[in-house]
Amino acid sequence: MIKYIAKRLGQSILTLFIIVTIVFSLLRLMPDEGYLGAAAEKMSLEQQEVYLTNLGLRDPLLIQLKNFYIGLFQGDLGKSVTYRTDVPVLDIIQDKMMYSIVFGLGAVALSLLVGVPLGIFMAQFKGRWLDRLGTGYIVFVVAVPAMVYFLMIQMYISDWFNLPMLFDEYNPKSFILPLFCLALGPIASYAMWMRRYMVDELNKDYIKLARAKGVTERTIMFSHVMRNAFIPMAQYLPATILFTITGSIYIESLFSIPGMGGLLVDAIQRQDNNVVQGLVLVFSSLGIIGLILGDILMAIVDPRIKLGKGDSVR
Amino acid sequence: MKKYLFIVVSMFALLLAACGDSTDSGETSEYRTVYSGEIKTLNYLKTAETNEFALSANLVEGLIEYDEYGVVKPGLAESWESNDDATVWTFKLRDDVKWVDHEGKEVADVVAQDFVDGLNYVLDAKNESSTAWIATVVKNGDAFYNGEVTDFAQVGIKAIDEKTVEYTLEGQTPYFLSMLNYVCFFPVSGEFLAEKGDAFGTNRENILYNGAYILDKFEPQNERVLVKNKKYWDKETVKIDRIRYKYNKEAATVAPELFLRGEIDGAVIPTSILDEWLNSEDKKDLVRQNNNNFYTYFYALNFDPQYDAEYEPENWKVVVNNKDFRKSLYHALDRVSAMLTIEPYNPQDLLSNTITPKNFVDVEGVDYTLLEPLKAITENDSFDKDLALQHKEAAMAALNGKATFPVKVVLPYNSGSPEWANRSQVVEQQLENLLGADYIDVELYAGPATGFLGEIRRPGKFSMIEANWGPDFADPSTYTDPFTEGGSYNKPELAEGYNGQYDKLVAAAKAEVDPAVRYELFAKAEAFLIEEAFVIPYAVGGGGYVASKLNPFESQYSPFGVTSEKFKGQSILEKPMSNEEFKSAKEAWEKARAEALANASN
Amino acid sequence: MGLFTKEIQNISEKSNNQLNDHLFEFATVDDAKAEETAYSNYSYWRSTFRSFRKNKIAVFLLIFVIGLILFTFIQPYLPDQKSPTQIYINAETGMQDRNVAPNDEYIFGTNSIGQDLWSRIWEGTRTSLFIGFAVAIIEVIIGFSVGALWGYSRKLEMPITQLYNIVDNIPTTIVLILMAYILRPGISTIIIAMCITGWVEMARFLRNQIVILRDREYNLASKTLGTPGYKIIIKNLLPYLISVIMLRMSLAVPAAIGAEVFLTYIGLGLPVSEPSLGNLINEGRVLMMSPDLRYQLIFPSIVLSVITIAFYIIGNAFADAADPKNHV
Repeated sequence: MIKYIAKRLGQSILTLFIIVTIVFSLLRLMPDEGYLGAAAEKMSLEQQEVYLTNLGLRDPLLIQLKNFYIGLFQGDLGKSVTYRTDVPVLDIIQDKMMYSIVFGLGAVALSLLVGVPLGIFMAQFKGRWLDRLGTGYIVFVVAVPAMVYFLMIQMYISDWFNLPMLFDEYNPKSFILPLFCLALGPIASYAMWMRRYMVDELNKDYIKLARAKGVTERTIMFSHVMRNAFIPMAQYLPATILFTITGSIYIESLFSIPGMGGLLVDAIQRQDNNVVQGLVLVFSSLGIIGLILGDILMAIVDPRIKLGKGDSVR
Repeated sequence: MKKYLFIVVSMFALLLAACGDSTDSGETSEYRTVYSGEIKTLNYLKTAETNEFALSANLVEGLIEYDEYGVVKPGLAESWESNDDATVWTFKLRDDVKWVDHEGKEVADVVAQDFVDGLNYVLDAKNESSTAWIATVVKNGDAFYNGEVTDFAQVGIKAIDEKTVEYTLEGQTPYFLSMLNYVCFFPVSGEFLAEKGDAFGTNRENILYNGAYILDKFEPQNERVLVKNKKYWDKETVKIDRIRYKYNKEAATVAPELFLRGEIDGAVIPTSILDEWLNSEDKKDLVRQNNNNFYTYFYALNFDPQYDAEYEPENWKVVVNNKDFRKSLYHALDRVSAMLTIEPYNPQDLLSNTITPKNFVDVEGVDYTLLEPLKAITENDSFDKDLALQHKEAAMAALNGKATFPVKVVLPYNSGSPEWANRSQVVEQQLENLLGADYIDVELYAGPATGFLGEIRRPGKFSMIEANWGPDFADPSTYTDPFTEGGSYNKPELAEGYNGQYDKLVAAAKAEVDPAVRYELFAKAEAFLIEEAFVIPYAVGGGGYVASKLNPFESQYSPFGVTSEKFKGQSILEKPMSNEEFKSAKEAWEKARAEALANASN
Repeated sequence: MGLFTKEIQNISEKSNNQLNDHLFEFATVDDAKAEETAYSNYSYWRSTFRSFRKNKIAVFLLIFVIGLILFTFIQPYLPDQKSPTQIYINAETGMQDRNVAPNDEYIFGTNSIGQDLWSRIWEGTRTSLFIGFAVAIIEVIIGFSVGALWGYSRKLEMPITQLYNIVDNIPTTIVLILMAYILRPGISTIIIAMCITGWVEMARFLRNQIVILRDREYNLASKTLGTPGYKIIIKNLLPYLISVIMLRMSLAVPAAIGAEVFLTYIGLGLPVSEPSLGNLINEGRVLMMSPDLRYQLIFPSIVLSVITIAFYIIGNAFADAADPKNHV
């Protein structure tokens, strides 16, 4: 197991290296004007050149790349240029991550708490009104554009229940609506997957056998079906939890949550290369760690799986 | 499962906590608002973004200020003088100005050397200041920026003694005072700057304050709070104790509702929901127009088209050199219908018949746009159907055989701006309908959202384009830059029969120091530009509608620079101004301003 | 049993020549009867279709979607249709017919500059569906080609797996924004931008399917008989995969339309002079708080939701129907 993890991590570092290099090169294709912001209009071409040279953007690509990696190995991701001038990239990410993690974990917990039971009940009462209601909810969440119903929730539910519209860290009431919005989507997907796996599992022969043996429905549900239905979900759970730090762009924008949502988009649009590179590094590491953790968790819940025989790609 | 249990427990804790109530306290005067454009730095010596220097204007002050009518008044400098040709300016500083830190503790006196240090920072290219280009008005400024001069002592700024600072300029600059209203001439404590290094301006601890407010909280993408500076030299005029900005990326959508719920004191009301507000009994008195700004918008006809052959740039080059053709477009453009896309209620208020906007500069109380020969242009709407068709006939007759009709007119717009896209569609259809499909064929072209200037305007990939220009100082010469030789707009110097006339007129005007003569010459140059229809003046920026408890006529007024962003002098109204109140207040203000300006010039 | 009937017949025919006729009495071979036992009239496609037909909602939605697509095409040619980009001028005021609520003349009302929302929505639906289908088809083609190589060729497995890990971890937003910067904003840019990263998922999915199938006996047999790899992929694997590919496609269409809405939200969508469901919804979003104008948001949202729901349900019903387990 440890050997397996070490091997996976080793490969991952190579992958990370390639990803960051590609992103680094892609970013240098961005138009020069994006670095200048409002000043683009007024600066003369010579002044623009001086400015861009000072940013290091006129060095050959390989030199820029070398400087970046030298910094990286010293644990320095560089400083932001156009997002928050001269503030270290790590500080920016750290400040924002806190908020997204809190909300993200809250939403994951809430959606597991609601979504998994919902899926179980839907499977148990397959084809009846509860199942239909749940399906209706899932279809609604998937089909209606999120930006439409989030805005409605913010405007109307806040009014009906007298809740604050904007997030305020000193007012716990203001946590309710964003959390609720954040959980809507995941509840639907957990319920959907749970229901599907449960139904698959319920049709299997060993369940029929158990029923024939006279095992109580309760025992069947909890110690057989649920446990097995949970296995495929276990694989994705670590990645889901880790990725809560990336935040949600719609919800954080609407409710004024100073989290990570939209940070990447903002940073790219403002062409803050250092911030983008830092974020890409963080996100891809999370993605890779999530995969490894998923495999490990799978191996723990499902004793049939042995790690280390070939690399799984899912 | 333990992990989840933990989260479950914390969630319950959170819900329980949610039942507790929060309390607001304090009866101080507070202004609250939401904003969507985050600032990236507090380093006022580096930034060129409006919302950044808008914040800095309240934290740090420069040598001069303006009153509410736009008359220069002493700021940190209590008096000043210049030599006859306006190349050397000497300022005497006030005694009682202190630098304070983020807790309001006194750190140092503001001295003449602080202004030298500030300019030194700006002009040092490695500091990447975006406002350095404006500071190059100072002697050897450009040379220092480019590295041709390395000794800052050769640059035209000197601290004569602790309280006297002297600027020597590159050329005669009668409007230099107005430039001092810009962040690049602001002071900085050299010692503090050296101590902080690159971290200067990155958070509220890393700058020093000498202005009306101190940053009490600065959390980007969350909230910033300004509180009154108790050591401020002019603290009696500061009436609002606390200003609270809450970040919301969707402010345009959320702010009106927040205002109605009384959670904020100022909100922009987007045009799209204005109907709703104006038609509702309880909301219609809450909303009013906003003041215009000094960005000028115009349609420029390109004399050096560089776009793809499929749009026939050569054909355009032939027709655009025909004055009748240009005039036909000039008279055919219905600017009101174009303006309806952003201002459907009072479109006239934003239109501008000249390149230089109204209320920018004046000669003894007479507005620049009313000087001869610009007066005739200012007072007549350029849109005239009959004239347009007359010119069309003339142009078609003159160009018969030389050009092919219909002429393809490439009209690009920035795809990042839905209003611009809408407006372009309106202009396209309006021009084609009026002038006829046998005459022109307007081709819309969606330009990229970022890099629009570099992709479209600078390389000349347009036949006609909506462009804008903002002033850099209070002098009409600032509006001539786009059209003189070397400008990156429409290159009128390539027009047939132009013979450098506009450049000559502008050069003559720039040589004058006396405002009366100088402005008249500029007016002549501008009239020539418009009369020849090299450009079609369209509108000014700003405007729009707000619901706000601030009185816009209490704030300091200046057409350029940061003064107008100051909260100093403003107070919070009981209830927001209605549009009628706004209009009458504006009228009264305009009258008072004319008097004040006339008095000031005597 | 039935399999041997023919052989028995052959043997019997041979023996005819050698043995005396009278020794045996021949049972006559009834072809029809033999067929009955030897032939199961199971056809994969027919069964799929049959079980799909059982799902009434899905069938209804399928007809509805086909009707909708047809309608978007014929709509401009119907009588009394307005142009989606023409700005209508009010005859009385001489000004643009702005924000007119739905009425007889403008079925869905007009937008903020006086364009007809009814025709804009259909134009937008056409654009969005085009984007959706184009993206889905391109993704399938690239995804299948890469997935087949990835799953079938053992030599290419490692390099493609590495490539997958890399492409999958480059944030899509970077690629999307970069494409929007480099190319001129427009439909093709959006399609290219979505496909550049979108094929990865499809390739992975198909690869996993192929890995499952490639070692089945009949493929092994083909291989040992010397059938070239590409033929095995096309003749043996592709037909088996058609159903899952169709399923993925039917899900990829609404996903691409949704992605277009998101792109518009972050400011990288189509310019408003080219209507799409994305920019119609985005334009309408600010009107949420204005009850009189909310129709400008609601109509395009409904169209989008209906299309999405229809594709999801059809896709899932088809997946169920295509599963041989459900064919009994």
